[in-house]
Amino acid sequence: MKIKVIESVLKENERTAAENRARLDAANVTALNLTSAPGSGKTTLLEKTLERLGPEHPAGILVGDLQTTRDAERLSGGAAGVIQINTGRGCHLSAAQVAEGIAGLDLEDLEVLFIENVGNMVCPAGFDLGEHARVALLSIPEGDDKVAKYPTLFQPADVILVTKIDLLGVLDFDVGRVREDLARINSRAPLLELSARSGVGMEAWMEWLASLRGA
Amino acid sequence: MHELSIAAALVRQALDVARENNLARIEVLEVEVGVLQQVVPEALDLAFQAESRDTPAAGAVLRQVEVPMQARCRSCGHDFVPDIDCFQCDACGRADPDIVEGRDIVLKTLSGPEREREDLLEDQGH
Repeated sequence: MKIKVIESVLKENERTAAENRARLDAANVTALNLTSAPGSGKTTLLEKTLERLGPEHPAGILVGDLQTTRDAERLSGGAAGVIQINTGRGCHLSAAQVAEGIAGLDLEDLEVLFIENVGNMVCPAGFDLGEHARVALLSIPEGDDKVAKYPTLFQPADVILVTKIDLLGVLDFDVGRVREDLARINSRAPLLELSARSGVGMEAWMEWLASLRGA
Repeated sequence: MHELSIAAALVRQALDVARENNLARIEVLEVEVGVLQQVVPEALDLAFQAESRDTPAAGAVLRQVEVPMQARCRSCGHDFVPDIDCFQCDACGRADPDIVEGRDIVLKTLSGPEREREDLLEDQGH
């Protein structure tokens, strides 16, 4: 017997993502999904972002890694709540993992929730977590060809951050090439150049965050 | 290897449908895979085999059909077909598409033999 089904395989994830978004909306929390390769500076960016947000803009963090609680330990000082999600063999976060993470946070006390996805340029792209905006990072040491090589990471991003910009001049990296590639892949998202370490460009990032929160 | 989580969801879904329709086991599944999912067919096949082991879907044939993208430009409203390496609208040149097709994974059909009436009665405790 042949049965016609015609149902999305991803519907479970989509449904949970929609529930996450509704819970965040009800608590007036703006959620961001940070995606990039491992080592592009997501955790350092969050450390410095938390410092700038200060206690008057409490932020929660869900951080996804295959193993260890090191990132959560790094971020625990500045955040109102940090939850490490160890995905084991999983190469991306799922909406269900985020739902579990959210359940461990006092959403009512937060303004912003940063979801640091597993460092991976392919797998996280297709999974909605219930975020309000998606952030894609690309660091100078990775090379200026990554937008062209991994278009599906950068295409759905609402903002693109070129990080470790203080290494420009030390390494060969042409920001113009990134802009050219983005004109073909994603001309909607603003491109911000910054260094969390030196502080260059952090103002523009914080302004973008504030505008998202105000929108 | 996001194929693993896709395969796990697919097996769960297929077993639910098979149960609702009294299939004894699943022999063939037809799945449409949007090109934006970046699925490697061999990897999905392997992951499906692993996830379906010891279930009524074990040994089933997974037929995958790739679905190309369809998009509507958010800037000018033009309908166009993006490429995976170029999302520019062919009318206005902006790369700001609303992807309307090619991002989902859809279970289209399931086939397998129906369970015998005796099996059903047995299950119901008769």
